[in-house]
Amino acid sequence: MSDHPYLIIDSHLDLGFCAIQINRDITQPAATVRVHDAESTMRGFGSCTTTFHELHKGHVGIVFGTVMSRIDPNDEWTRTGMWDQTQCHGIGMGHYAVYKAMERIGVVRQIHTSKDLDDMVTAWQNPKADTPIGLVLAMESADPSLDPEQVPYWYDLGLRLVSISHYGVSSYCHGTGTEGGLLDRGRPLLDALKEAGIIVDLTHTTDQAFWEILDYYDGPVAASHHNCRALVPGQRQLTDDMIKAIVERGGVFGTALDAWMLDPDWQREKPAWAQTTKATLESVADQIDHIAQLVGNANHSGIGSDLDGGFGQEQSPRDLNTIADLQQLPEIFKRRGYSETDIQNITSGNWVRLLKTVWGKI
Amino acid sequence: MPPILIIDGHLDMAFNALFYRRDLTRPVMELRNREDSVRGGISSHPDSLERRKGPQTKHFTPTVALPDMRKGRVGMMLSTIMVRVQDPHDNTHNAVRTQAIAYARGQSHLAYYKALEHKGEITFIKSITQLDACVRSWESPTDTTPIGLILSMESADPILGPDQVGEWHGAGLRSVSLTHFGANTYGHGTGTVGGLYPPAYALMDALAETDIAIDLSHASDLSFWQIMNYWKGPVHASHCTCRALVPGQRHLTDDMIKAITDRGGVIGMVFAEQMLSPAWNWDDPRTHYTTATRPMKAVLEHMDHICNLTGNTDHVAFGTDLDGGFGLELSPTDYNTIDDLQCFLDIMRAHGYNENDVAKFAHGNLIRFFKSNWS
Repeated sequence: MSDHPYLIIDSHLDLGFCAIQINRDITQPAATVRVHDAESTMRGFGSCTTTFHELHKGHVGIVFGTVMSRIDPNDEWTRTGMWDQTQCHGIGMGHYAVYKAMERIGVVRQIHTSKDLDDMVTAWQNPKADTPIGLVLAMESADPSLDPEQVPYWYDLGLRLVSISHYGVSSYCHGTGTEGGLLDRGRPLLDALKEAGIIVDLTHTTDQAFWEILDYYDGPVAASHHNCRALVPGQRQLTDDMIKAIVERGGVFGTALDAWMLDPDWQREKPAWAQTTKATLESVADQIDHIAQLVGNANHSGIGSDLDGGFGQEQSPRDLNTIADLQQLPEIFKRRGYSETDIQNITSGNWVRLLKTVWGKI
Repeated sequence: MPPILIIDGHLDMAFNALFYRRDLTRPVMELRNREDSVRGGISSHPDSLERRKGPQTKHFTPTVALPDMRKGRVGMMLSTIMVRVQDPHDNTHNAVRTQAIAYARGQSHLAYYKALEHKGEITFIKSITQLDACVRSWESPTDTTPIGLILSMESADPILGPDQVGEWHGAGLRSVSLTHFGANTYGHGTGTVGGLYPPAYALMDALAETDIAIDLSHASDLSFWQIMNYWKGPVHASHCTCRALVPGQRHLTDDMIKAITDRGGVIGMVFAEQMLSPAWNWDDPRTHYTTATRPMKAVLEHMDHICNLTGNTDHVAFGTDLDGGFGLELSPTDYNTIDDLQCFLDIMRAHGYNENDVAKFAHGNLIRFFKSNWS
């Protein structure tokens, strides 16, 4: 580990889901949660890596925490997939309430504005044991927003980044694993997001929807947890053209740490417990390096780990035990010859720049 | 007889929608078909392959949905926010590890009701004016008349502290059970022998500043009497039956029934085998089984018992708890979907209750209870 820890921003964590669906006490060390999980009725979400305790330990001082529920009638597994948007709204508000409950006990401070963001960045220059984790509210699949008219309500709650689809087909758009583009309700939703000043997250769009959104929507964009198709094939990853298109719009990428998005040999049809990934934190650096080489600078990459987003340590880079190990990444970049400025941009600076550009001075 | 307005004093609608993933805007028969199709269906999330599935949860056949309530003129309900802090080993997954999780789950239930209201399916009842308006709308209902909701909470764990009572009251909360199963944040509930924990008293002080009633249904025996001694506000038992007839601490003793009714409280009759059968002992899991043996008529035994104790018909109501962690399998043998509650009113009539008694049971007593507590 480096002699001084870097502030790390993680642009995609499903912490609300971990709390209310997996029933984890996300204030505890991962080791404690692992013991709890073994006796839990809700097994099947992998070995815990991510809690506020571990985030603090790894100086992951600012995170994007999701509200996650989608139309997906057959989702008996996570129980966040639903038949109707009224149910998605309920689950989504539950995830938001997790963050409010964490804020009440001082573990979290929600970030709404550039000033909030600056305050958290400053606090994490010299963090104390009780320095809260800054949290930007994000939404994975826009189904919890009952209609475009509800977007301002969500904005007031702090929502600042939305992917309008997830797996399957949302009420607004085709998502990962399907073929198709924006649905009729998608464009009015994009109008409302533009009006509110919410970043559109292009992660989990189909290829067709990706380009349709970029054509239609001229507001800010990003890809919160997304890797490169040149390194790992599949619709879930971004082609080089997509990467360039996002960069042209000033967007930022979060590199995902799910083993199947890092390791082209990972077999999705095989259980995670029946294979060992060759992905390591070096593979994470490879993804970031690919984008840097493609666009000629390191001003667009970040970390959007998605750790504990339905998988655990067994499906993460094999040298990662908990999310605190993200702090090993700066050393890897140093060895690869990245400048101090580049490393700071990757770990936090690029996301800070994007958010402040979108939010202005307030 | 033509159908009359029914108020069900205890349903767990949001829990059914968000845990069993039931879209309650659809008819029960459609929900049953959907649930048959889902078993073995493939989620669009690729990690949800068989290897990833958690242990199968028990499946209970649904009997309650909003269209069926409309069909049976169940035009008003107390419906819960239901989640409790308890070692999470039970199969209904409403026991959670921390109060923060309970708060968030509770908020998800509240948000579901708000989304239903947004859709025009239900309407929150927070005042006498709204209560009267809802009763009026059910005098000549249409296919789209919203169902009135009085928000209740089963276990007070989602209330993070006395300072949060105002927020929950503002959201519509009008009845709170301090405990549920096990030992929760505020005290001991069904199946345990302890009493209240100290935070319960500060919570009751805050509740006393509002018009929220305390529901004694899931208090342990000691908690029951501790609440009755300390709490001067309105009390009721939203879903309970009589210990004189069926065994176990889950049911009310005659002294408890008198204590509640002396203070104007109403007791809701539960339509569940585990509350109606003398063969089922709540305190002895070895006596628990999976198929109902008792018909709706068995509810009359409890109603008669309470009416005989009190000498009137002013303190009984529906508090069916249907689909509350069980389903058709343990519902009364001659019951299929919630519109069958109208048939129960005919059973009352055949048993000799007059039309005034029937109306009091169906809706009058609960309306009186809430109107007398609300300003």
